[in-house]
Amino acid sequence: MATRLQSRPLCQAGRASAGELATGGAAGAHGPWRPGPLQDETLGLASVPSQWRGVQGVRGETSCQTASIATADAGTQGRKREDAQVQTEAPVRPAPPVPRPDEPRLLAFLRRVEPAVTRELSRNWQSHAFDGFEVTWTEPQQTVTCLHTLGYPPAQGQGLHVTSVSWNATGSVLACAYGRLDDGDWSTLKSYVCAWNLDRRGLHPQQPSAVVEVPSAVMCLAFHPTQPSQVAGGLYSGEVLLWDLSRREDPLLWRTGLTDDTHTDPVCQVVWLPEAGHSHRFRLLSVAPDGKVLLWQGGGTGPLQLREGFALAMQQLPRSARLRKPPRGETEVGATAVALSSFDPNLFILGTEGGFPLKCSLAAEEAALVRTPSSVPLRAPARFAFSPQGGPIYSVSCSPFHRNLFLSAGTDGHAHLHSALQAQPLASLRLSQQYLFAVRWSPARPLLFAVASGEGAVQLVDLQRSSQKPAVSVSQTQDGSPVYCLEFNKQQPQLLAAGDAKGTVKVWGLSTALTEQGPREMEDLDRLAAEVAPEGDGAAGCVGQV
Amino acid sequence: MIRKTEVEETLKRIQSHKGVIGTMVVNAEGIPIRTTLDNSTTVQYAGLLHQLTIKAKSTIRDIDPQNDLTFLRIRSKKHEIMVAPDKEYLLIVIQNPCE
Repeated sequence: MATRLQSRPLCQAGRASAGELATGGAAGAHGPWRPGPLQDETLGLASVPSQWRGVQGVRGETSCQTASIATADAGTQGRKREDAQVQTEAPVRPAPPVPRPDEPRLLAFLRRVEPAVTRELSRNWQSHAFDGFEVTWTEPQQTVTCLHTLGYPPAQGQGLHVTSVSWNATGSVLACAYGRLDDGDWSTLKSYVCAWNLDRRGLHPQQPSAVVEVPSAVMCLAFHPTQPSQVAGGLYSGEVLLWDLSRREDPLLWRTGLTDDTHTDPVCQVVWLPEAGHSHRFRLLSVAPDGKVLLWQGGGTGPLQLREGFALAMQQLPRSARLRKPPRGETEVGATAVALSSFDPNLFILGTEGGFPLKCSLAAEEAALVRTPSSVPLRAPARFAFSPQGGPIYSVSCSPFHRNLFLSAGTDGHAHLHSALQAQPLASLRLSQQYLFAVRWSPARPLLFAVASGEGAVQLVDLQRSSQKPAVSVSQTQDGSPVYCLEFNKQQPQLLAAGDAKGTVKVWGLSTALTEQGPREMEDLDRLAAEVAPEGDGAAGCVGQV
Repeated sequence: MIRKTEVEETLKRIQSHKGVIGTMVVNAEGIPIRTTLDNSTTVQYAGLLHQLTIKAKSTIRDIDPQNDLTFLRIRSKKHEIMVAPDKEYLLIVIQNPCE
């Protein structure tokens, strides 16, 4: 409030009337109005009615509420309880009875559809509509990559080589055997059999999921074809052992022991053979350079029993072998590799130290000439001898797509493609300046095979692209130490495992071009098998010069 | 039988066409009645193609109830399968076409 210049009796605030205040309060008391000094005034309210807004809406308030909701509680409990389990069983399918078809109606049906079907068949035969049409269902992989590098440090520390790899029946476990391939002497070297489960999440490349210590060097390994955890191995001492990798405490199931029956030389290869008649039971076949091919069967407790045996003697080989040296005495023919034919259960191919593959039969009857007798009569299995190569054969492999074709590879650095019907090889490919240690047909593509070379490379040869040089060559070792073994995974054909002299096993993932069959591959394979190699002087040219 | 029945002759004519790998006749329940392939392959083809033919027929009928399935062909990388359907029987022919 502003100050006043003249003094007046103080009047109570808020009591003064509006008129008095409007005139400054001085008019009534002190004579005619004169403009007074500056004073504070409070004017009354002035209301201005709205011209555009009508009557304000009527407002009212009410409230409502639902009637109370009735709730009730009740409890129940079952008194009796029953448990039941349901499981489906694989249905045993009885052979469905062939229904007697109504012949007239069947005939009428065939008469109706035959013209349409014949028309479509002949039109399809001439059609070019789908030439070159291909569908890609999966993302194609372009290159060969190394998926895993596995090793067992204690074995690598001892300088052991990987002598053999094997995939199990389900394709998820890879086992490798350690030993030495360059020892000529008896050795008391302890070695290992290691297994990795590649489908498990916590895969540690240096820690195998199962390790078995073996008192002697293991030369070969083979997983059981249907039991995923049983694996058989052949030792340097000539024994054949069977392990079950799912048993932690004592994996050894059966062993042959060192008896008169067992091999006297290191076992080069073991394979599982289906038993005739019982296709779910298997027997073990082992080959060794002492000339014996033995068939073992595990039964109950105790050692592996020798069921049948074969012995190779030089004089009993078929005449077709063009052998340089005339046989003298009872010379044994050492067997270094074996392959079973996928089409004929009685047929197997042996690779020998002399460099000639042999076609053998399990059903042979003739008794073998052996120096030492054995508990089971040994027979001479050889039916046909192929022409010799330049040196011992280290590996043979029968084609899973054609009954007559097989490959053999050895120290002459060539991979020879043979037909079982003739002595000369169909083709010989020079793949390495050094030895070839393993050859395997691909389980997915009829014209593809892989070789492991002494230069440390895994080579894949595609006979469709070029029959002179490999399609893909990947080097496994940095310093050129040899690759000793390789195996395709039959359940996942894009996986190829290879073991080398450094003690590492590498799992290679193949490109799509190497795993998918082309449209005409089977026909090309049949055509290849039907070729006849040149006769006469060509024979000397095919034999490798050492 | 000295004289082959006409059914066998008709099937033999179809089988001898160029590129034909196998021929079979399947009844309405999916049971093979006549076949030129081995038993396990025949049973597999018969069961699978019978179901596929029923599905194809219902597809055509669902799209247009006035329409019906007359012929079914499946082309794969290796060969072509042709199915001639009928009320009671199914004729399946597998051909390896010339590429």
